[in-house]
Amino acid sequence: MDLFPIWLSLQVSLMATALTLLVGVPVAWVLARRRFPGRDLLEALVVLPLILPPTVLGYYLLLVIGSQGPVGRALAVAGFELAFTWRAAVLAAAVGSIALLIKSAQAGFETVDARLEQAARTLGRSEWSVFWSVTLPLAWRSVLAGTVLAFCRAVGEFGITLMVAGNIPGKTQTLPLAIYDRVQANAMGEANALALIAVGGVALLLFGVSRMARLKY
Amino acid sequence: MRRWLPAAWLALAGAMPVAGADAPSLTVFAAADLGFAFKEIVPRFEKSVGAKVSLVLGSSGNLATQIEHGAPADVFFSADRAFVERLAARGAVIAESRAVYAQGRIVLATARSFGPRLTDLRQLGDPRIRHVAIANPVHAPYGRAAEEALRKAGLWETVKPKLVFGENIRHALQFIQTGAAEAGIVARSVANVPEIEWTLIDSSLHAPLQQVAVVVKRTARPELGLAFIQFVNGPEGRSIMKRYGFILPGEF
Repeated sequence: MDLFPIWLSLQVSLMATALTLLVGVPVAWVLARRRFPGRDLLEALVVLPLILPPTVLGYYLLLVIGSQGPVGRALAVAGFELAFTWRAAVLAAAVGSIALLIKSAQAGFETVDARLEQAARTLGRSEWSVFWSVTLPLAWRSVLAGTVLAFCRAVGEFGITLMVAGNIPGKTQTLPLAIYDRVQANAMGEANALALIAVGGVALLLFGVSRMARLKY
Repeated sequence: MRRWLPAAWLALAGAMPVAGADAPSLTVFAAADLGFAFKEIVPRFEKSVGAKVSLVLGSSGNLATQIEHGAPADVFFSADRAFVERLAARGAVIAESRAVYAQGRIVLATARSFGPRLTDLRQLGDPRIRHVAIANPVHAPYGRAAEEALRKAGLWETVKPKLVFGENIRHALQFIQTGAAEAGIVARSVANVPEIEWTLIDSSLHAPLQQVAVVVKRTARPELGLAFIQFVNGPEGRSIMKRYGFILPGEF
């Protein structure tokens, strides 16, 4: 059995989760702590990927990053290919899962007592330092929970990936796509084996994370 | 936690280059109905020319959209001429390479779990048949042919409330295979599965399903793509295609 989809999916979902954290945590913090014009719009935009059907979202994304799209063209000029590569699969998984992280992390940040942050500021801490030494440690469990949700969603991402990364065996065929392909080809044995690996693998990872969650920040 | 974060990043960065390594030399985008036939044809082609083929199956409409937006396909086997014409009009394919490789047929399929094999479209009106699976007529050629046949037989209104749409023809097939749909209309080329019995539907009931292959413009090796199309249309390819119920060029 071809094990490539398993490794690809593992890497894609880890990278997507990293990307999600990188973008999502600041957005969640801004939503929780700042009032600015367009904030409601941003909040709506964040959950959009959960509302739109994944294939539809994938289609719109393809219009933007495909060879005809504005971003796709700009990247092509820079010699960078995004659509139909494994990077597109990372983007797809990140887009599909980021809302889960942002909403959990935002809720976490909102429950942090602002007076504690104020206290740190009066002691001369910079905003950056307040975030790392007060806000994040106190919201740590919410952020971790959001990360776990986002990671699981990233592993299972199907619709967006199918549209923007294609279903190219050995290149962009992630685990969910591979399972779908086997089912379609009537190879139920292989499909079941892959599904079992997916579920088992993620369960193991989550077990590790839940042990980690007991760690203090 | 802050102590092991950098290590996690490093591990991640180290894992990066592995994905997407050594690209296969020929990527074939093919309509879902070709799945079973191409599983046999591809290894033979690989052996005869010493190239590696990566086969991507999907609904013709979806694949065409992806090719239009720069998907790395070298060759496109569409279940329908219209998609290829659309791509040709937009300059995404090498128009001169277009070749008809088959004409599709549709069959009336019955799930074995349901009981006796249906032999006439009118039997779909039977109240014991609660679901009829076809591919989505909006974008799947075999779905469109199924709709045309039902309309021409004057059964569309009767059967319409029972219809369930598959994303492509293999998806529609699955509805019947699992017994979730008691019957359906699928491609002859995918109908030879143990869970199903089928009856050929008169080809005069629908517009001919002319299946066209074409070499994609952005390919780095047009000659290899053309060779694959010729292989499918050559003696070895034809004998396999015929076995899966395609009507081949010269036999229409």
